[in-house]
Amino acid sequence: MIIAKGLSKSFIAGNDTISVIDNLDLTIDEGKFACIVGPSGCGKTTLLKILCGLEKQTSGSMLIHGQPPDPKKQRFGVIFQEDSLLPWLNVISNVKLGLELYRIKDADQIATKYLDMVGLEGFEKYYPHQISGGMKKRVAIARALAVDPEIILMDEPFADLDAQTRSIMQKELLSIWSKLNKTIVFITHNVDEAVFIGQSVSVLTKRPTKVKTTVSIDLDYPRSRLSPPFISYRERILGLLQEEISSL
Amino acid sequence: MLDLDVTIMPKMDRFRSVLIGVASLAVFVVAWQAITMATNSPFLPTPVQVFQAFLKISTIGDIDGYTLWWHIGVSLYRVLLGFAVAVITAVPLGLLMGVKPLVKNVASPITEIIRFIPPIAWIPLSIILLSGINRYIFLLWIGIFFPILLDTIAGVKRTSETQVNMAKSFGADNTAIIKKIIFPSALPEIMNGLRVGLGVGWMCIVAAEMMGGEPVGLGRLILKYANLLQIDVVVLGMVVIGLIGLAMNYLLLSGERRLFKWRVEIKA
Ligand SMILES: Nc1ncnc2c1ncn2[C@@H]1O[C@H](COP(=O)(O)OP(=O)(O)OP(=O)(O)O)[C@@H](O)[C@H]1O
Ligand SMILES: [Mg+2]
Repeated sequence: MIIAKGLSKSFIAGNDTISVIDNLDLTIDEGKFACIVGPSGCGKTTLLKILCGLEKQTSGSMLIHGQPPDPKKQRFGVIFQEDSLLPWLNVISNVKLGLELYRIKDADQIATKYLDMVGLEGFEKYYPHQISGGMKKRVAIARALAVDPEIILMDEPFADLDAQTRSIMQKELLSIWSKLNKTIVFITHNVDEAVFIGQSVSVLTKRPTKVKTTVSIDLDYPRSRLSPPFISYRERILGLLQEEISSL
Repeated sequence: MLDLDVTIMPKMDRFRSVLIGVASLAVFVVAWQAITMATNSPFLPTPVQVFQAFLKISTIGDIDGYTLWWHIGVSLYRVLLGFAVAVITAVPLGLLMGVKPLVKNVASPITEIIRFIPPIAWIPLSIILLSGINRYIFLLWIGIFFPILLDTIAGVKRTSETQVNMAKSFGADNTAIIKKIIFPSALPEIMNGLRVGLGVGWMCIVAAEMMGGEPVGLGRLILKYANLLQIDVVVLGMVVIGLIGLAMNYLLLSGERRLFKWRVEIKA
């Protein structure tokens, strides 16, 4: 269970203080697939960094199972917005990185298992520059899943992919999630994607951001993008987001 | 900067460039022979004379009985010792200076001054204070330390923040971050520093050996025969120094290419 209460974060840039998150409240239950959408630059990545303890809030609280987030004490599987593979390591060594940092045994075997799960069997010895963008994301996902995290945090993981690959990856992620039953926090700016995969979609306001509304998506999986309820959810969330973007 | 901006040449081109290189060297040697024959000075040895000197020094030995191979071995041994001490000190300090601004602020006023004092300027002081192998190690360390230090610091700056964040998100502590992310990120620059440092060291050793001490070492060989006005051995010593420098540079460069294949391919 993730609970953020009155969460605020500001950065000092030169002489200015910029407020990025202001009094944000958010609750995500165990095992949920929670999507977060928000206008560009509103503070989504900052929120994700606070969620995994990479940044500290300026005020308010962020608690995971009652504890402030700390990757030394809890296990997170973070998929970063930018490419975060190590170019000097091959695919399997990249996947093993988290396992090694957590000193988990049988790293080879576990890494191979998760590479198979994301459909990359046979690519173990390839280097990041020898595989495509979509494959790199899969490696990052395998690396995050391999440490058996309590919470998976994904920051626009499919943003750079073409529509075709993106749609395949969404379905694969859903099937992985239904197998592993983990809490997933999935950041995206793509409303269609959020409604397709999320059990809930939290819409963030423009910067300084807070949660505008959280919409619970009461549709069974697999969802059809053509079904009227899907379309109405999508239109509603698009509308909420539009208010934020047009008032920028 | 890193010397890896090589465009991969087609096979035929590479063959041709080797051919041109060999031809150019041959022209150089022939011109050398011609000039020395024309001037007919006892102080300008011909390539043939230098080769004869090579045969003599490498089999019979010099006036003290030391063969060329012995001189080479001793010089190399000194350089590698000094090099090892420089690597062990410069790389960790460079990593720390790159990672911790405090360490950099403390260390850089000192290092920034010392690095402009050429190793040769340290020779008189080191003759007074140090003896035997320690003197050579010290002089080489002074020469090799700074190229490695500066390149290590520059290499650390190449570390990607996302990669560090990624490691932190897996609970990595500072030691693990240095080991798994920062050191590998800096390694291409560090290797470059090693190569430059080894080249500088090779030049330092010759100067250091000329300043007295034991009668062995390539620098010493050159000096001994300069005093005897037997210039063929002097030139032989110079040629050998050049060739060994070239060989060391080539070895490290091809090591770098192999190690950082991924980097070459990303650029290509
Ligand atoms: N370390 C920092 N120092 C100063 N300002 C920062 C820092 N990190 C983020 N910001 C600012 O915080 C704001 C939000 O950044 P953030 O990366 O969280 O946005 P985002 O919603 O993830 O954007 P995008 O949709 O482009 O991914 C930006 O205006 C950014 O300039
Ligand atoms: Mg972002």
